[in-house]
Amino acid sequence: MNERKVILKLSKLTKSFDAQAVLKDVSFEVKEGDVIAVLGASGAGKTTLLRCINNLITPDKGEVSFKGTQVQRTKHSIRAFRSRVGFVFQRFNLISHLKIIDNVALPLVKVKNMSWADARKAAEIQLGQVGLADKLNNHPSQLSGGQQQRVGIARALVMNPDIVLLDEPTSALDPSLVGEVMRVIRRLSSEGRTMIIVTHEVEFAKHIANRVIFLKNGEVSADCSPDEFFDSMSEEIAEFLTDLSAIV
Amino acid sequence: MSKITLGIIVAGLLWFSYSSVSAVYPFNWSTLTKYYKLFLDGMVTTLQLSVIALALAVIVGIAVALARDSKVNLLRDAGTLYVWFFRNMPLLVVILLVYYGFGSAVNVDRFWAGVISLSLFEGAYVGEIFRAGIDAVPSGEKEAGEAMGLYKSQIMFSIVFPQAFRISIPPLIGQLVTLIKDSSLVSVIALGDLTMKARQVGTQTLAVFEAYIVLAACYLVMTSLVSLAGRILERRLAIP
Repeated sequence: MNERKVILKLSKLTKSFDAQAVLKDVSFEVKEGDVIAVLGASGAGKTTLLRCINNLITPDKGEVSFKGTQVQRTKHSIRAFRSRVGFVFQRFNLISHLKIIDNVALPLVKVKNMSWADARKAAEIQLGQVGLADKLNNHPSQLSGGQQQRVGIARALVMNPDIVLLDEPTSALDPSLVGEVMRVIRRLSSEGRTMIIVTHEVEFAKHIANRVIFLKNGEVSADCSPDEFFDSMSEEIAEFLTDLSAIV
Repeated sequence: MSKITLGIIVAGLLWFSYSSVSAVYPFNWSTLTKYYKLFLDGMVTTLQLSVIALALAVIVGIAVALARDSKVNLLRDAGTLYVWFFRNMPLLVVILLVYYGFGSAVNVDRFWAGVISLSLFEGAYVGEIFRAGIDAVPSGEKEAGEAMGLYKSQIMFSIVFPQAFRISIPPLIGQLVTLIKDSSLVSVIALGDLTMKARQVGTQTLAVFEAYIVLAACYLVMTSLVSLAGRILERRLAIP
């Protein structure tokens, strides 16, 4: 069998806020086609980890390598890397004064220097794939949370990224709207998109992910397949799963 | 309905005061009619002064806002110092300083002395308006720009400024109204603005009360029209 290529390699990412260590020497590799669910209790460092990967938060120590090359902390290097990495936010973070179609076209125009006309064509196709072909000329505030998040996903995908980072993509949604966003993410995984999803949804981890990374106090305490994870006899995982089901 | 009631009450009060004053002060409106051109001249000058001063104040304001949001300590302090100075200085004193102070060193035209005083002074307030507008843009949207790979300048021009500008419009219109009112102070340097013309008419005709009533009405009309135009602009540019 062909060995899948390593897309992303994190080495010893470390981050503290006010002497409070949030990430401690986090290292792992992401291979092409991996769908990784990052689980962990609140405050375990999940979101910080995701943000350190694309330098929204600058890690104190550690390195990120992309396709075998270390990402330098220079303006151009970070920009080039970010243009290959999609990021989906918990609170969507759509640009409120731009129409939906322009929200999706914006990165093509500003980062890939496409014309607005071409970028809008590509955006239209991408929005069609997340089922929003009829909302092109609306503004973000006119959409439901689930629709806004699908725009957020389309905005990430329009750049045809090598990997997509999703930061709790369904946590800010009404329970009734979680399904539509989940379906889109499930489709991405079936298309072979490489993704890292920080999530509280056990469903993601069980049915979409091929790998679970469990963070505890800023450290990777488990990195295994979902089956192994959910069958785990480890005390801390069992405790986490019990807490989780208590909340749900 | 309540607005109509209020209107009737106010009109009644005005009529009552007018007729009681008439008993002791013989109003003579007809002498004013010959001087309507002076009022028009004054209005034009006041509007010119205000619009040019606002345009310059906007430029000053952008500079002040950017300086105060800058990462460079020196710029930030300079911006703070500027705002501190002009917000704690009476406009009248600024006008005197510019016209009689600088005017005694270099030759300054009255009109431009007025424009410069007003734009320096109002620039401090406009700067604060812009700064509030920039700060009001959700930080998540700036972050989204970063995550897309935009440069800082692209984030400013594509995401921050368009929204900050829209947020700033209502207070900016308010500032223009203030500016029109404040501009009446330039009459102390004999710049032929509306207030000075009204004083001229008053002394020439001796119909002082009448001239100042007209003066008041002119300001009300100008400022109300500006507010109305501002509201239309605001609605036009509103983000749904």
